[in-house]
Amino acid sequence: MGGQLGNVVFVIWRESVEALLVIGILNAWLVHQQAESSRGRLFLWAGVVAGLLVAVILGAALVLFGEALPDDAQQAYQTAAVLIAAALIVQMVFWMRRHGRTLKRDLETSLQDAADRSNWWGVFILALIAVAREGSETVVFLYGTLAAARSGAVLAPFAVVLFGFGLALGTYYLLQLGGRFLSWRVFFRVTEIMLLFLAASLLLTGVDNLIELGVLPSLSGRLWDTSAILPDSGLVGGLVGALTGYRARPDLMQLLVYGLYWGVMCWALFWPRPVAKAA
Amino acid sequence: MDLFCNERSTARVTRRGAAFALGAALLIAAGISRAEDDPVFRIEFNDGKVTPQRLEVPAKRRFKLELHNVGKSPAEFESKELRKEKVLAPGASSTLVIRTLDPGEYDFFDDFHPNAPPAVLIAK
Repeated sequence: MGGQLGNVVFVIWRESVEALLVIGILNAWLVHQQAESSRGRLFLWAGVVAGLLVAVILGAALVLFGEALPDDAQQAYQTAAVLIAAALIVQMVFWMRRHGRTLKRDLETSLQDAADRSNWWGVFILALIAVAREGSETVVFLYGTLAAARSGAVLAPFAVVLFGFGLALGTYYLLQLGGRFLSWRVFFRVTEIMLLFLAASLLLTGVDNLIELGVLPSLSGRLWDTSAILPDSGLVGGLVGALTGYRARPDLMQLLVYGLYWGVMCWALFWPRPVAKAA
Repeated sequence: MDLFCNERSTARVTRRGAAFALGAALLIAAGISRAEDDPVFRIEFNDGKVTPQRLEVPAKRRFKLELHNVGKSPAEFESKELRKEKVLAPGASSTLVIRTLDPGEYDFFDDFHPNAPPAVLIAK
């Protein structure tokens, strides 16, 4: 039973870690940009609340009509969600970089203000998807776990669920501390890389879905198999897979998309370009 | 969810449209009868225990996996390589369609019980 309870804690933490990363980093960044932060954070937390609502509705739908929901429609929805989220994360990373370089001077011009307004909506939608995506699964998980508890001791599973959420909140708090006490440059570099890996993982999940829906070909069978060293599911491997897009047995399409993604990112990040906004 | 289904029903009722609709209906009917021919395999989840642990399935053809969660805790069928992920509330069941598999072994997990050993599909 002890293993089972530990399991519950781990699953809750894992299901929320992706949303935590996105929200935690965006929040730390917005706090750092004091000038505009209150409006940006309003959009961020409105997105979180909307995401929670969607998660509860979707989760309830899964519990009530699980079998009746059309499979392909669910997968199409998931695909759209992960691809939009991946694109928004990449956009945020570049947006933060641009701002990081020119800092507050730009924020004062009204032109930048208009550009920011569309970005705030991006922040809202990103927070919404990040929470809703894994959130609906968490809702089913919680429902099931707590429903199971009805028959036995109620208190223990309930406490365990709270502990899982506590751990998730602790992780979020660590991120905020990092944003405050690490040098901003270091914090930003590290979180930027984490976000880009997360976007890569979402992109790959989207590609997997598109292959499954028959939109993309897989181009090959498994190219290699490293599951003996690190599987892409289970306790550790599943987490690594979710945060980086790691696949133990990739096919050619996954390899091409992953390579292309990092190729484009490296090009966009490191290609020397003339300083456009000299004035 | 309706977003994905409604467009098809707005086809104009011309003769060509009617012929098209008839053709589509035949195709769908064929699809259903084909779906009924698919072999079905049953997998049970019971609080982290997956039965059977090893399941032989046909390679290079469509088949179905019938998932049943008979345990008291929620379960999630997950396999990266099969590109499937399915959440099951306690007592719930669901069906997955696998379009085609190359011969080989494919791990799958109950992702809500990640410390349990993986089970494996063997496509032959």
